Amino acid sequence: MRNRIVLLVLAVSAAGAIAVAQAPPSRPSALRIPFESYALPNGLRVVLAPNNVSPTVAVTVWYHVGSKNETAGKTGFAHLFEHVMFTGSGHVPYGVHDRLTEGVGGSNNGTTSRDRTTYFETVPSNYLETALWLESDRMGFLLDTLDVQKLNAQRDIVKNERRQRMDNQPYGLVGEIVSNTLYPASHPYSWSVIGSMADLSAASEADVKDFFRLYYAPGNAILSIAGDFQPVQAKALVAKYFEAFPRGAAIVRPSASPVTRATETRLVYEDRVQVPRLVIVWPTVGKQSDDRFALTVLDAITAGARTTRLTKPLVYDRQLATTVITSQDSDESAGEWRLTITPRPGVSLTQLEAAADAILDTLKTEGPTAEEIQRATAGLELDFVNGLESNLGRSLTLADGLGYDNDAGSFQTEYQKMMAVTAADVKRVANKYLAKGRVILSVVPIGKVDMAAKPSESTPYRKADQ
Amino acid sequence: MTHRFRLIVIPAIVLALAGAVTLAQGTLDRSKAPAPGAPPMLRVPAWTRSTLGNGAELVVSEKHDLPLVSFTITMSGGYNQADPAARRGLADITAAMMSEGTRTRDGEALSSALQLLGTTVTVRIGGESGTIAFQCIAAKFPATLDILADMLVNPAFPAEALERLRAQRLVALVQARDQTSAIASRVFPRLVYGDAHPYGQNVTEGTLKAITRDDVVAFHRAYFRPGQALVTVVGDVDASAAKASIEKALAAWPRGGEKPAFQYPPLPASRTSTIYLADKTGAAQSTFAIGIPGPPRSTSDYYALQVMNTILGGMFQSRLNANIREDKGYSYGVNSSFAFGKGPGAFRAGGDVVAAKSDAALQEFMKELRGIRGGRPITDEELSTAKDALTQRLPGTFASAQSINNAIVALWTQGLPDEYYQQYAARIAAVRREDVVRAARQYVDVDHLVIVIVGDRAAIEGTLRATGVAPIAITDIEGTSLQ
Repeated sequence: MRNRIVLLVLAVSAAGAIAVAQAPPSRPSALRIPFESYALPNGLRVVLAPNNVSPTVAVTVWYHVGSKNETAGKTGFAHLFEHVMFTGSGHVPYGVHDRLTEGVGGSNNGTTSRDRTTYFETVPSNYLETALWLESDRMGFLLDTLDVQKLNAQRDIVKNERRQRMDNQPYGLVGEIVSNTLYPASHPYSWSVIGSMADLSAASEADVKDFFRLYYAPGNAILSIAGDFQPVQAKALVAKYFEAFPRGAAIVRPSASPVTRATETRLVYEDRVQVPRLVIVWPTVGKQSDDRFALTVLDAITAGARTTRLTKPLVYDRQLATTVITSQDSDESAGEWRLTITPRPGVSLTQLEAAADAILDTLKTEGPTAEEIQRATAGLELDFVNGLESNLGRSLTLADGLGYDNDAGSFQTEYQKMMAVTAADVKRVANKYLAKGRVILSVVPIGKVDMAAKPSESTPYRKADQ
Repeated sequence: MTHRFRLIVIPAIVLALAGAVTLAQGTLDRSKAPAPGAPPMLRVPAWTRSTLGNGAELVVSEKHDLPLVSFTITMSGGYNQADPAARRGLADITAAMMSEGTRTRDGEALSSALQLLGTTVTVRIGGESGTIAFQCIAAKFPATLDILADMLVNPAFPAEALERLRAQRLVALVQARDQTSAIASRVFPRLVYGDAHPYGQNVTEGTLKAITRDDVVAFHRAYFRPGQALVTVVGDVDASAAKASIEKALAAWPRGGEKPAFQYPPLPASRTSTIYLADKTGAAQSTFAIGIPGPPRSTSDYYALQVMNTILGGMFQSRLNANIREDKGYSYGVNSSFAFGKGPGAFRAGGDVVAAKSDAALQEFMKELRGIRGGRPITDEELSTAKDALTQRLPGTFASAQSINNAIVALWTQGLPDEYYQQYAARIAAVRREDVVRAARQYVDVDHLVIVIVGDRAAIEGTLRATGVAPIAITDIEGTSLQ
């Protein structure tokens, strides 16, 4: 059967025709998918994105709460709570959620970040109402059936998750160490999303209930639906299942900001690894600043493809490293630009650090070439389009836009800003952010602190708790 | 100092408001799940088959909702057919070498050209098939295709690149020793199939070091041939224009080659169930891999096994995960699967378990494996959920150009008819409870299991032994017996 549905207006190639090869690469002026957003009287914001390419529908519920809403001593709470949300609610016995999503050919999951918690399911389109029944029941009636046994079971599972992802994972503690170090202890990004074992043990049933009542209310939530449905029908169902819930209390949000650091911090951490690794992290900016776009392009021209600034000399020409990875993470309240290098045998982390610094200094002085910018943005363009292809990707993207920017369509502006980044922008942000106030972490095999970058200047990192 | 909000004050207000909900809900009865509407029709996209001038098969499927194209050339056969035992890793290195430059573009020029097109061409060779593929913006399809053809037909295979790729893989092998799950994924197949069977052979330092540039050149010449290839293109293309572009781009790919026979040596004689404990000092979790050789994909028991495994360990609420993760809290997740290859792909159940509960988890694994063989009757609910899950997930698999492409390729690599997806639901519906139990008894042979546990021997050996589940053999982290 031929797919005849052309609901999507995606003006990706302005040129369109294949024959215009001699013209300079044309940039799409806009990236559009059909959607509408509105709010219920109780404050629940809703976005609907019809797309009938396949008979499925993705439902995302986005709550504006993450690990940054926790307090020291109660870390890991937002994520532990995410697990509790899958244990059943007032009218939905435990297990039914899976039965009516995965058990009907769909899927479900949840994720917790520093800033938000999302719950999502993709189901056959005839199960849209079922998905709304499930999501509304845990928004409205979770506490009806929550007890300490359920909490304890999820606590054990989360501890296993921590073991599997971090404690038993080579280099698995890098993220937590960097967060602990890059941010002052008072900053809510200074602890890991998964939290400490001690705090997980201390979480009480009362803590969980208070957390739910404050954060899991319509006024703090977004419902995003993408896929094969009729908007009129979807709106009626949304009203039916969600409009009776009270808005919820006003939330005082932590006033976290990007950090700046005057001096370098140099750490060494002994891990159960055979190969050392060098991690350098600079504090940058998150969603509050458009500099994040140039920082993302900087990341793309610095490492990855074999022509990039660090990968070419370190992995290919001089062969000092097996891998070089960079990333710009743009969270709601702050950002980080990270460089991770794994050495070839016999190459010291000190040598790699010096080599990387020299290359970055050159980049800061010269700035990138026009072609480097072109290469980077061409790849980012495909990433944008790919991210919108699945119903789930679409519902998550639209929810993020509404949640962070109060505009479900903010991906369009982000796309335009990303494509408009210039060499001068990249040079400016490289000089502004890749500065002295960085964290340098050497991960070394146990007993081999002398393998650290500049070992005599490195302080051993000790975990805050066990 | 950042502001700290107080949790204590607010909930009382919310609680008061919550009281009003029940009243306002009035007529809405939430006590029952809403009845689903009529199931959506399965819409399998249309595609057209033809043959290229060089003998490769071609399938084109148009999809115009987004300006994206997914293009793949799939080769029949993989490292299990093509890698000599003493040069395991040759297929993988050859695949990587194809991105290292062509006769007219060196590695950097190739990388730069692809970056400007916003994409990458990936070359991967798996156990029984290999692919060279890309996804791109539709307007860039012909230009990207030309580069893929250059990589396929004219690779330069520079000697210095071989040394670099070899060195990177040697480091990766060392790093694999750090992770219990990576250790288990080497030890388990080796113990199940033995060193003489391709399924049991691992890449080692020795096999990597044995590979020469001549091996790479010869592998490429013998493996990448149109007579064993399927070309698939899905997305925003016109079928006839796409075929013309492909014919032109692949004109220099010489005819020849045929699909391999997929003949495997006999399996080693089955042994009484044994625990193979590979010591990883200090591991906070133990990785479990419990299994036995299974049937090939062509087995007539395929559908019964799909239903059986979905009940046992294919989903979140399947017996294994419901018990060991959700009820007992020993793990972040456990599952089971059949590999279903051209040969006797393994049945494997496992996951990562907190070290202190290794013994208890072992007993629960064994309980569930015995249970599915009849010890714990399969309920109507289990049977219908498994069938629903399997059949109703099908419509969603045709959502993206990439997933449609994968679905078409799967028919070819698994030797299935074009109507396979349309027939699938009826095949699953026909599975009876007794078929499921019979399949479990035949294929989940609890008396001849290889039970690999990678963990901290000092912490777990004693309690594992005390379970009496099976005798324990101690191995190193390559699966070589230490006794």
